[in-house]
Amino acid sequence: MPTTMGHAARHASRVAGLAIGGAIASGLVIAAGFAAAPSSARTAAPATEKVVIQYDCIPNYANWGSVTALYKKVSGVTVPPDPKGSSVALAALERERDHPVADCAYYSGAIGLQAAQKGLHQPYKPKGWEVIPTELKDPAGLWWTVHTSTIAILVNTKALGTAPVPRSWHQLLDPAYKGMVAYDDPTWGGTSYTLVYGLNLLMGGSDANFKPGLAYLKQLDANVSSYPRESIYNAVLRGEVPIWINADGNGYKMRHVDGGPIEVVIPAEGSFTMPLVMGMAKGAPHPEETRRYFDWLLGPEAQAEFAKAFFRPVLARAMPADVAAKFLPAREYARARPLDLARMAAAADALKRAWLDEIRGAGR
Amino acid sequence: MAGRDPRRRALGAPPPAAAGFLLALPLLLFLVALVLWPVSHLVAAATHGPGAFRVVLAAGRYRTALVNSLLLSAAAAGAAVLLSLVPAWVLARERFAGRQLLRAAMALPLSFSGVLVGFLMVVMLGRIGAIPELVRWLTGRQLLAGAAYTPAGLFVAYLYFEVPRAVLTLEAAFRRFPPELDAAARTLGASTRERLLRVRLPLLAPALRASLALTFSASMGSFGVALILSRRFTVAPVEIYTELTGFSNDAVAGALCLLLALATLAADRLLAQGGRRWRRAGSGGGLGGLRQAAASGTRS
Repeated sequence: MPTTMGHAARHASRVAGLAIGGAIASGLVIAAGFAAAPSSARTAAPATEKVVIQYDCIPNYANWGSVTALYKKVSGVTVPPDPKGSSVALAALERERDHPVADCAYYSGAIGLQAAQKGLHQPYKPKGWEVIPTELKDPAGLWWTVHTSTIAILVNTKALGTAPVPRSWHQLLDPAYKGMVAYDDPTWGGTSYTLVYGLNLLMGGSDANFKPGLAYLKQLDANVSSYPRESIYNAVLRGEVPIWINADGNGYKMRHVDGGPIEVVIPAEGSFTMPLVMGMAKGAPHPEETRRYFDWLLGPEAQAEFAKAFFRPVLARAMPADVAAKFLPAREYARARPLDLARMAAAADALKRAWLDEIRGAGR
Repeated sequence: MAGRDPRRRALGAPPPAAAGFLLALPLLLFLVALVLWPVSHLVAAATHGPGAFRVVLAAGRYRTALVNSLLLSAAAAGAAVLLSLVPAWVLARERFAGRQLLRAAMALPLSFSGVLVGFLMVVMLGRIGAIPELVRWLTGRQLLAGAAYTPAGLFVAYLYFEVPRAVLTLEAAFRRFPPELDAAARTLGASTRERLLRVRLPLLAPALRASLALTFSASMGSFGVALILSRRFTVAPVEIYTELTGFSNDAVAGALCLLLALATLAADRLLAQGGRRWRRAGSGGGLGGLRQAAASGTRS
């Protein structure tokens, strides 16, 4: 039946068309990912409910899950979880500059400063502003620190097998750790950007010379299993990833809250402290709710809640004594030094590019 | 005369042109809103500022990502269709207990998002995945640990959702396969090999091509699996994500998007062209039904 044949032929080409459409559409879905994320966040709460949209609100990072749950209890306001890392939060605010969706964002220090420099924030000085040390806030109120952390080697001792717990950056290069090490993709997360920037200085590099840091990371690459672009907190706890270079607080929480066989190591050669900052988005859709939320976050209740996840509250007196006792002794932390946020922000794009080219490689 | 017959009109005569246009309008609006408008946006982004296309096509990470996407998708499509031939034939032609259950189970992976498939791969072939743990328990040796993060692991992950897609596409086509043609060839003295090459393959070729086009396109657009698993080996959708999220680089991301779509389009056209050559060669009359079956199968 020739007519059926012709019909079928047209049909087959239409199928191919559909398939192509599918491929294009999935490309577009990625491109639209930003736009989709905030709207899905918004649908998480019914229209009548009060919300504050915070970009980078990862429930098991710095205890944001508990902090936002507590805020819901005391105020009735919902702050939905948001999986973006610092860099992604910055990129999303930038994209939505003309039609803001988010009220605020949370970042590792340098990325937050970068967002403020790009004009994405509006000034606000929350209640309790005075307690924040001068170097940990913007004089105009464009960003401020909510808590601080230190870059550390988090080790799942059970998953390590017979290998010893690594004590230094140098020891991490030992082939015994092949396939065991992971640190987040620094183009995704600010914690990892802090690590990459700090390591470069530690290895003798500068803002104009990334070679020493990248040379070390290239050697480390032989032992790295992946450069995740999502939270691998649970993978480390389970032992899928035995060694994670990340914020010390995440390791203490795995050990003391989740009962994992986790050891936190401040490397012998030194490490870096990292302020974690917030800022109010320019054109925030819920300005009043957001300001009240910020005021509460700097208060003793929220600050103690952060401390329960072992992120050091910027309001130092909010640190409960039993939590403080579980940190490594102060002499270990003497090796950790602060980094210059302004210089980190200025180097961010170039260093992230260099990391992508040198470490993630040409993709082969 | 026939047109005036009210019964005939009610049954099958074409509706007036205006009605046809009205019926097509939703599709047209859909195309404008979800394809044309975003694509024009991408073109604007990619052509804003100097030479994003040149940057992407110059040797380096972007071009490598595009080439990797093409190679991985072609390999996954080829392997998936090849692996699916026998299962699809069995599902289509044989009757056995649990057949429906097996069919339903085959469709399940298609409903998983790429990110989920990535995590499943980690569970199976991660550093402490089920398979390496089993191997260690059986042989005491460390094998396949962390295979999920290698290009081979990525390939297996793609097969995870492309094999079911190919099986379901082919099965629908195989069910329409006319056994009487095969029987006729046998009666006329054709050997098994002759029947395979001169009867079965030409009859099934359109279905195979449709299946290849479908699995290839789906692989080209797949993003979540590679996002979770890729370490060094990178594919174009992941680079698009990195450029957007890490650097807000709309120009390069837009150019990558368009080139990815164009490459997919070109490959699919190539498969369709091959189809036309087949048809011109003029094979048997059962072809039409098979093509239709292949086409309808892709919708399941």
